[in-house]
Amino acid sequence: MINNKTAGMSAAERKAFYLSRLYMILPIISVSLLILLWTTVARNSEFPSPKDTFDRLILLFQKPIKGLNIFGHVWASLVRVFAALTFNWTFGIAFGILIGWNKKCKVLFTPLFNAFRAIPPLAWIPLITIWMGTGELSKILIVIFGSLASIVVNTQAGMSNVEQLYLDVGTIFNANARQKLFQIAIPSALDAIFAGVRTSTSAAWMVVLAAEMLGAKSGVGFLITRGMDSIDMPLVLMSMIAIGIVGALLSIITQFAERLMCPWTRKRSD
Amino acid sequence: MNPKSLSNSERVALIQKQRKRTQYQDAVLSVVGILGFLIFWQVITVTGIVESRYLSTPVQIASLFITKLTSPNPDGAVIGVNILSSLTIALSGFGLAIVIGIPLGLVMGWYKGFDSFMRPLFEIIRPIPPVSWIPLTIVWLGIGLTAKAIIVFFAAFVPCLINSYTGIRQTSEVLKNVAKTCGASNFTIFWKIGIPSSMTLTFAGIKVAIGNAWATLVAAEMLAASSGLGYMILMGRQFGRVDLVILGIVVIGVIGTIITMLIGMLENKVLGWKKL
Amino acid sequence: MDEKKIRLKLENISQSFVVNNEVQDAVSDVSLEVYDNEFLVLLGPGHCGKSVLLNIIGGLEKPVSGNLYLDGEKLSGSDTRISMVFQRLALMPWKTVMGNVEFGPQIAGIDKATRRKNAQKYIDLVGLTGFEKSYPNQLSGGMKQRVGIARAYATNPEILLMDEPFGQLDAQTRYAMEEEIQRIWQQEKRTIIFVTNNIEEAVYLGDRIILLSECPATVKQIYDVNLPRPRNTIDPEFLRIRKEVSENTDLAL
Repeated sequence: MINNKTAGMSAAERKAFYLSRLYMILPIISVSLLILLWTTVARNSEFPSPKDTFDRLILLFQKPIKGLNIFGHVWASLVRVFAALTFNWTFGIAFGILIGWNKKCKVLFTPLFNAFRAIPPLAWIPLITIWMGTGELSKILIVIFGSLASIVVNTQAGMSNVEQLYLDVGTIFNANARQKLFQIAIPSALDAIFAGVRTSTSAAWMVVLAAEMLGAKSGVGFLITRGMDSIDMPLVLMSMIAIGIVGALLSIITQFAERLMCPWTRKRSD
Repeated sequence: MNPKSLSNSERVALIQKQRKRTQYQDAVLSVVGILGFLIFWQVITVTGIVESRYLSTPVQIASLFITKLTSPNPDGAVIGVNILSSLTIALSGFGLAIVIGIPLGLVMGWYKGFDSFMRPLFEIIRPIPPVSWIPLTIVWLGIGLTAKAIIVFFAAFVPCLINSYTGIRQTSEVLKNVAKTCGASNFTIFWKIGIPSSMTLTFAGIKVAIGNAWATLVAAEMLAASSGLGYMILMGRQFGRVDLVILGIVVIGVIGTIITMLIGMLENKVLGWKKL
Repeated sequence: MDEKKIRLKLENISQSFVVNNEVQDAVSDVSLEVYDNEFLVLLGPGHCGKSVLLNIIGGLEKPVSGNLYLDGEKLSGSDTRISMVFQRLALMPWKTVMGNVEFGPQIAGIDKATRRKNAQKYIDLVGLTGFEKSYPNQLSGGMKQRVGIARAYATNPEILLMDEPFGQLDAQTRYAMEEEIQRIWQQEKRTIIFVTNNIEEAVYLGDRIILLSECPATVKQIYDVNLPRPRNTIDPEFLRIRKEVSENTDLAL
């Protein structure tokens, strides 16, 4: 059957054909190897096997931890992320526009902002816990600290790199400064702003886990620490996989939102 | 002032003077921004608007720093030891990530077969945040140096790989074709054209990686360590010493900035041709 | 009957820039007059002075010395009576074709219904009916410039400036666009000031050609092209004018 397909091909084409077939098979091989590695390691040590991990997932449905099954915990984490991001996007975008557009503001605020940015978000946790205890608000604040930088930096970059040409078009049509800001500069910076949205979302997801790992009663990060404390390895592994899946989903959703909001960034195949 | 009445050299002088004036104004504004913040900070603590158990004054922090240079209280080590401990782990994990991540990314970006094989593995590892590897590594390897270095490695590995991968993939086709017409082998093109082309993005990846590494290290130290800056902060919190906590934060930030500046200088040396 | 009305007058315009601590002259004492509804071509070599002159007329730059008069009134800065088609494609990528064309009226505060109708008229004029909802990155180079032309027309300007609008197009498209702009201009007559470095294009399109010298730009010569339209590029008279202009042109390396 393959011979029929390759019948009319030159030597180079045939080689390319077989190579492309090979490239399709390789991923399957590597993933299978990974699963094989996983099961082998599990059999020879205390590392949980795929089956163990899956069983643990089912168990969590039957015996929820702190009253929540896996979806409950994921939701708890996501709620914190959304709360933090809502603040970040409103404040961060506004601030980014300010320091990106107005040179004097940029010079005034940037050194200070960079100083704060240099501090890893997790380092704030003890300080925030001293201020506000370990409640919901303190966790949300931690996530805010951890993901604010990306949106501000991206928005600022977008605003300072507005093409002079577009502003010139505005001048020709007699646009005033306010019109130039809202009708030219901000729309042209939208794709940079969305890059910031994407980065801050993934940053927020990472930080919320750390915040939960250091003191919480719900959320996926909490699940991991629970597993670690009770040497419940399947729980740890299962939580990690859940974290990975949700993280990937968030990234897909934000990319989809970007394409929806900025249809002109779709590249045309020329 | 009607520019027409100025001679050419007067015009140049005027522009130069204006430029100097803007530079001076900008510098002043920056300093005002920072000073204003510090003064604000000092004032709200000293006057008691914010209670002293929530915030120490900048002056107190500075004096604590001097004290900690020689005093091991209350966390068990002089500040120099903590800094060294954190730096060692950060740099070893980071160094490992560069040595493995960058070549891997470059090869994956260039050789399609390798890419097809490694890609799915990488895509599976990628969404899992480095922080979540911590419990697993701790259960496996305890809370020693190796465990923390591995966590840092994971955090720094991903951006190094992604950036060198993307960097080499956007090598200009034109340049590759030029090399091919000169009779270069695939490996030669990879070495002499692909790799240099990817350097900008690779360096960007290194900067992200070090940021990640430093941040994850702090997290790891807070979860399980007996020394290091993250641990020091944790101890500060446990003993209710807000000044120690803030000192730790400041030192972490400063060191992070210094490292980024150093890498920036290295980048300028390697990629200096770009500015021309 | 032949008493031509002067619309735009440039009087002793000079422009220079401070670059790297040196003063570089771009335009040196240029004076010229632009008549009502004529297709005026500014022809000059290389990258010196022509676009700067246009920028000054459009209000994007202030000249070091000299004055501009529109219908006798002194100009300073941009004016809604003067519109521009840019050299590099300056369509806003986040707006559709309709969004781009109605941009000028939108800035001027005209209500949506009126400006839509107005924009549609010009979109039809340039031959892009049906593409109102397309984004610039879905259009070819020639189509993008047509949107630029429609946009410049949409504010109903007295004077249209065109800054080497076909410079970035390939040869075929360029010929097509030269015919297009001529058709559009004859259908909707305006005063046009067209900048180019292509001699054939200048002779094909212009009622008058103002030949500029190389850097710093001065007026070298003014040619009247009295050929009937549409012009034939291999007509002997066309070729004679072209040769005359070409021999007088400074070369810029």
